[in-house]
Order: sequence, then structure tokens, then C-alpha cells
Amino acid sequence: MTREVLLLFFRKETRDLRSNRQIWPAYLALPGVAILLPVLLLALLPILADPVRAAHDPAARLITELVSNDPTLHGATMQERLARLLLRDFGVFYLLIPVILASSAAALALVREKEQRTLEPILATPLTDRDLLLAKLFAAVAPALVVTWGAALLGMLAGALGAWWRIGALIAPTAGNVVGLVLLAPAMSVAAALIGLRISARFTDVPSATQYTGLVVVPVGLVLAAVLGRPAMASPLVGLAGALVVGVAALGLFRRNVRRFRREEILTRWR
Amino acid sequence: MIAAKDLSRSFDGRLAVEALSFQVPAGALCALLGPNGAGKTTTVRMLLGLLPPSSGGGEVAGVSLPATDRSGAALRARAGLLTESPGFYDKTGGRENLELFGRLYGIGPAPLRSRIEHWLRRLELWEARDQPFGTWSKGMKQRLALIRAVLHEPEVIFLDEPTSGLDPAAAREVRDLIAALRREGRTILLCTHNLAEAQQLADLVGILRRRMLAFGRQAELTAERPRLEVRLAAEAAPFATALRGLTSVQACEASGGTLRLSLNEMERNTPEVVRELVRLGGQVLEVRPVVPSLEEIYLRAVREEPA
Repeated sequence: MTREVLLLFFRKETRDLRSNRQIWPAYLALPGVAILLPVLLLALLPILADPVRAAHDPAARLITELVSNDPTLHGATMQERLARLLLRDFGVFYLLIPVILASSAAALALVREKEQRTLEPILATPLTDRDLLLAKLFAAVAPALVVTWGAALLGMLAGALGAWWRIGALIAPTAGNVVGLVLLAPAMSVAAALIGLRISARFTDVPSATQYTGLVVVPVGLVLAAVLGRPAMASPLVGLAGALVVGVAALGLFRRNVRRFRREEILTRWR
Repeated sequence: MIAAKDLSRSFDGRLAVEALSFQVPAGALCALLGPNGAGKTTTVRMLLGLLPPSSGGGEVAGVSLPATDRSGAALRARAGLLTESPGFYDKTGGRENLELFGRLYGIGPAPLRSRIEHWLRRLELWEARDQPFGTWSKGMKQRLALIRAVLHEPEVIFLDEPTSGLDPAAAREVRDLIAALRREGRTILLCTHNLAEAQQLADLVGILRRRMLAFGRQAELTAERPRLEVRLAAEAAPFATALRGLTSVQACEASGGTLRLSLNEMERNTPEVVRELVRLGGQVLEVRPVVPSLEEIYLRAVREEPA
């Protein structure tokens, strides 16, 4: 039954997202940024890598030092090495997109059912708590990942072409970028969605659930991306280890969510 | 079959349902009557495995209560629920709403399609099937919710206020359907405020106000406490005062030339009352036992029980 339930909720929630004006702009804006920003950064390369500017601008000097001190960045010119750094580290943004999208969708997942008074009829079906939470999780994470992967594909393509245009070299994604995108991004988005689901189960109105989820998930996601993201983009092993750690944490969160999913609380507290 | 045994439930230390015990045999319709906040919805939720009882247990459709996550799912596959509010997606058509819930009940695509068409036609909703649910009238919404409750052909059906807020015509349609479901042999627990509805549909009646105040077949409940009505040729008030002194008389009211008495034992005490009236000089024109209506039984039971 689980597979069918997953698809049912996936279709329903995707349709709900499309009609939700609070959510779908984020599904357009974040991928848009993911595609355009690498090109914009590459366009700024001559300014960012300008040695004259680096002499009196501390920010430009910091970038130059960062590039010079990173042995993994190779290239004939400073501009090429900086381009490699920008495109590689931009992969961190691809970790944040699914975290934001999946947690936003998950924050709505149960509280919207409460508001529409559809949760009790759903709970009255033979769905187990595990089935329901898994279906809601899948419905929140799958569209976020599809959008992220699509945006990443286009963003990386735009980055490669931008680099060719700017410095005459094709820059491919690093192994760290690929591992981050394929393993770390799903693990992080699942963990974020599980936090959103937990909050959605506890709150009784949509604005509170979404705001509270944002308050919890965004800082945690940013810290995680800052601590884990850059090293993971530089080293696929770090990405792999990070995905494992976050994945195990997500599994623990899921189990905890199932254990703490109190039908009684949900049924008696929303009125 | 539905069986509750000492079922209790409290919320934050406040007892919502206390030691509820009753049994509804397979194929019977039981009406659960009670004022707002009496614990009817909580009882239904416990019996459906949605709320764990604080204590006690029971059995519904062969599944023991309290239910686990798994056995609760098995129970809900054999039981249908009509919730107080219909609970469908407003922007989605009626048919599509039913398809979603039907799939959640595990009904295959082909039988689901034919069952949905059958029920939508039967309840005259077929024409509106693809219009968004939010645009439907209240009666249509309630009928659609009733279809959802029976779509998976459950053995047991819980109906929580099925005609609440409906106009008389829509309420009658819903009542007719409930009667038809009972004729099909389903076991039904109907929670309602509507005493006439209960009187019309139910085999068994339970009066609930936190605990079960009365439970049984309608005829048994009403026969339990019949009253004696005595018509006199003169004003009855002076006789009422005298009769209240008899140990066999629980209560006595006078209205014009009529006395209404509640006796300890109807058959044994009636001659004694008549003798006393004659001794006091009353001219007795008529003596007859009066069987109370369900409404009287309900009101008496609810008034006697502190909220």
C-alpha cells in the first residue's frame, strides 16, 4: 500500500503547491537564482580577480588569498582558479534549495489538512502513522529535489558555458559537487522536511507553522551548509560522510516523528 | 459488532467519557444521544482506534481495543466514519475527492470507479461529480461524506451527527440512506442530537453524558418508567398534595383535572392510589398508564445527571 499512498499524496500535494501562492514563487525564484548567479559571478571575474584592487580592497585580497591557498584549485591564470572556486563552492547553494523548499512544503503538509478539516477523514482510513508521514515526507522532498536537480543541471551548464565565454576554459562540476547534489542534498532536505512535518503536526494554523519552521530550519540549514558544504564541495569523501551522518540523523528524526505522532493531540487540539 | 467495556477517556485530567460499557450486535443500529460535550465524538474516536482510551477496552469488527498502530489500521479498513464536518478538498471535484479516499482505503481502481459511479448516481450527485467540492450545497457535501464512509463496504459505520445543519429535505435523504444501510445488514453507531431521528432509525438507544445514563432497546427504555395519568371530575391540585405523602408515589403533578404520577411499581401501586383518591372524595373518570416518549426519557436522564 505504501507505494500507492506515496504517489497519491505526491500528486495531491504537488497540485496543492501549484495553487498555493505563498509557496510556488519560491519554486521559481530559487532555481532562477541557481541558474543566473553563476553566470553573474563569472561576469564579475575581472573585478574580483583584479590584482590592483586586491592591493587596497580587503575583500578582494581575501578572495585572492583563498584561491592562492587552495592547492586543489589549478589553472593558468588567477581568473581561471577563481572561476573554479566560485563554481565549485556555488554547489553549497544547491544544498540549500531543497532544504528551503522541502521544509516549506512539509510545514504546510499537516496543518493545511487540519485547516481544511480533511485530517480526521484521512486518519480514519487504514493508513498507519508511518504510512502517512512517509507519504507526506515524500510529497515534500520529491518536488524539491526535482526542482533542485533541474536547476543544478542548468546552473552547472550555464557556469561551464560562462567560464568558456569568460576565460576560454570549460569548467566541469567537481566530484564533490556531484556527491553533494546526489547524496548530501537529499539527506539534508529529508532532515529539514522532517523538522517541518513535526512542526506542522503540532501547530494549528498555517502562518505559525511556516514561520516557526523557517525560524528553525533556515539557521540550522545555513550553519550546516557553512560547516559541511564547502568542505564537501572540495572533497567527495567529506560529502559522502556528511550525507551518511545527516542521513542517519534523518532516520532517527523519522522514527521519532512516527513515535511522537499523536493522533489524539492532532484530533483534539486543532479546533 | 461493537462492544465497549469500561471505556474511559480523560483529557488533561478531565474525564470526558467514564466507564462506558455497551454492546451493539451485528446488523443493529444504535443511536447515541447526548448533549454537546457529552463524549459522543470521543467515544466514536476511541471505538475507531483514533484515540486510545485512558482505561477499558472493547471490540469492534473483530478487532480488540485499545488498538495498536497496525490493528487500528485493520479496524479502520473494516469501519467507516462520517465526521461532523464533511472534510473534503474544496478545489477538487466530488468524484476526485472520493477517488483519493477510496485509494487510501485500498480499493482497486476498477471497483473504485464503479462504486463511485453507483453511489454518486444513487445519491443524485452524478451531475455535479466534477464540480469543485467547495461550490456544493451542505446537503450535497454531507451525502458525499456519507458515500466516503461506505465506499469500502465496511462492516461497521460510525455516523457523527449526519443530519446536523441540513434542511429537512436533505436530512430526510440522509436518513433514508442510513435506513437502507441498516437494511443491508451494516452495524451502525449513530451519534445525534435529533431524538426523532433516533426514534425513527434506531434499534438500540444509548443516552450519554460522560457516562452511559441509559442503554437498551427503545421499547425497553420507554417501558422502564411509565407514568400513571388520572383524570378527575374536579380540580386535581388538592389531591396531589395528599398523594405525595404515599410511600409508593415518587412524584405527583397536577394540571387542571389531571394528575400525573410516577410510581414505584405501576401494577402494584395503581389500586392503592385509586383507593386513596376515592377515600379523599375524588371522582375518578379515567386511569391510564402513559408510556413516555424517547424525548421524555432523554430529558429526564440528562436532567438527573449533573453536567
